[in-house]
Amino acid sequence: MSKAFTIRHNKADSLKSKVIGIFHKRYREQRETLWALKGVSFNVSPGEVFGLVGRNGSGKSTLLKIIAGIYPPTQGKVQLPNGARMGAMIELGVGFHPELTGKENIFLSASIHGLYRKEIEDIYGAVVEFSELDAFMDTPVKNYSSGMHARLGFGLAVNLNFDVLLIDEILAVGDEAFQHKCMDQIDRFQAEGKTILFVSHSTDVVKKICDQVCVLEHGLPVFVGKPDKGVEQYHALLRGNHS
Amino acid sequence: MMSVFRYRELIRNLVLKDLKLKYRDSVLGFLWSLANPLLLILVYSFVFGHLFTGGPPNLVYFLMVGILPWNFFAQSLMMSTGSILDNGTLIRKVALPMEVFPVATVLFSLAQYLLALIVFFPMALLFFKVSVAWSWLAFFPILVLQILFTVGMCFIVSTATVFYRDVRHFTEILLMLLFWLTPIIYDIRTVSDSLKTVLYMNPLSYFILAYQDVLYRNVFLSLDRLIVLLILTFLSLVLGYSLFLICKVRFAEEV
Repeated sequence: MSKAFTIRHNKADSLKSKVIGIFHKRYREQRETLWALKGVSFNVSPGEVFGLVGRNGSGKSTLLKIIAGIYPPTQGKVQLPNGARMGAMIELGVGFHPELTGKENIFLSASIHGLYRKEIEDIYGAVVEFSELDAFMDTPVKNYSSGMHARLGFGLAVNLNFDVLLIDEILAVGDEAFQHKCMDQIDRFQAEGKTILFVSHSTDVVKKICDQVCVLEHGLPVFVGKPDKGVEQYHALLRGNHS
Repeated sequence: MMSVFRYRELIRNLVLKDLKLKYRDSVLGFLWSLANPLLLILVYSFVFGHLFTGGPPNLVYFLMVGILPWNFFAQSLMMSTGSILDNGTLIRKVALPMEVFPVATVLFSLAQYLLALIVFFPMALLFFKVSVAWSWLAFFPILVLQILFTVGMCFIVSTATVFYRDVRHFTEILLMLLFWLTPIIYDIRTVSDSLKTVLYMNPLSYFILAYQDVLYRNVFLSLDRLIVLLILTFLSLVLGYSLFLICKVRFAEEV
């Protein structure tokens, strides 16, 4: 699977700049193709934790977004088992509105992920319990601390009952106790046979929980396989960069 | 379109969010949504009852019959210009049917239109001495057609705004021009033939005339007028939704 982005210098997103571009070459939109991902291909079995590692800008997040169905791939495709529910946690608490209360946000955000009202009512208690924010459900989210915000987001994400979870570097939030709780939750998902795709810069975490890793470098998959070896490769890449 | 139905809970929540947030923390709160149309009617009653008189009989009632559905259309269109663009952060992070955003803005404006009608009809019966007629029943099919027509138009402007930010400002000007080219504050029978031709090229005229027929002139809609409304609605939905479908794969990268 590959993904190309068109980079537009002097992006003409207004009519005026389009018209000026006709007469002045200097202001004309210049297009350039950037292959954010090239020939990435792997299989993830159900129940597996699959790690994506690589340096900044190597294409990890783009890959997750394509898998989530946010960007269309330029070539190739993403195949999912029939009826599997893909859950994206590209960012925690996405869709939270600062003026709405915690409770209102749970209902809004869960419906963004396609849940029906009945389903949301069913998980509501579990979300509140997981995020430990019982006392703050009637407080607007703008008054939450960033840790509380993340807890509500993670509490919601783990209760959406997805079959495939996409997690983008979100375990770096909250205090240690909460991080432990998140790790426990990921273990539980594994036990339930859920598939997790997971982006992280924390090689310790990758080694600890992943069954397989893919190392990306400039959009190319330089390694797919066992976590220990993958982390070694990744470190080699980092060293190469500094020498 | 099926996915829009699948995500009806999201549409409901988006509409409720906007309704809640609009008047949250104000003293009158939700009462504002009723006070707003009330004040509008009072202002028009004063201006056209005392300052400018003449025109069609029962002038203020005539005006409101046209202005309220116009406001519904204009507000929907104006709000939907940004409905994809302003939800960019969401669209870049969650895969969801993006149709819900323009549809939700139309339903939000619709809710306000209906609230205005709740204020307006009792006033019409009490103060404008209007009596209920059978033709009023035809209001509902016209409303349904107007909603669908508006949704189609909103698909077009919300898509266009993603690629050309100018559309927002252009729409504002266009709506102002369109307001005067729609027989809302004057009776179409009083304008010259050449101007009539122009008015009949404006799709909105047919909707406003239909409302005036059934609510003001108390006659049922003629068959040919109904067919025109059906064709306009069909064209708007098909064109608008096709454009939206073709462009929506690029939304996440463009917003």
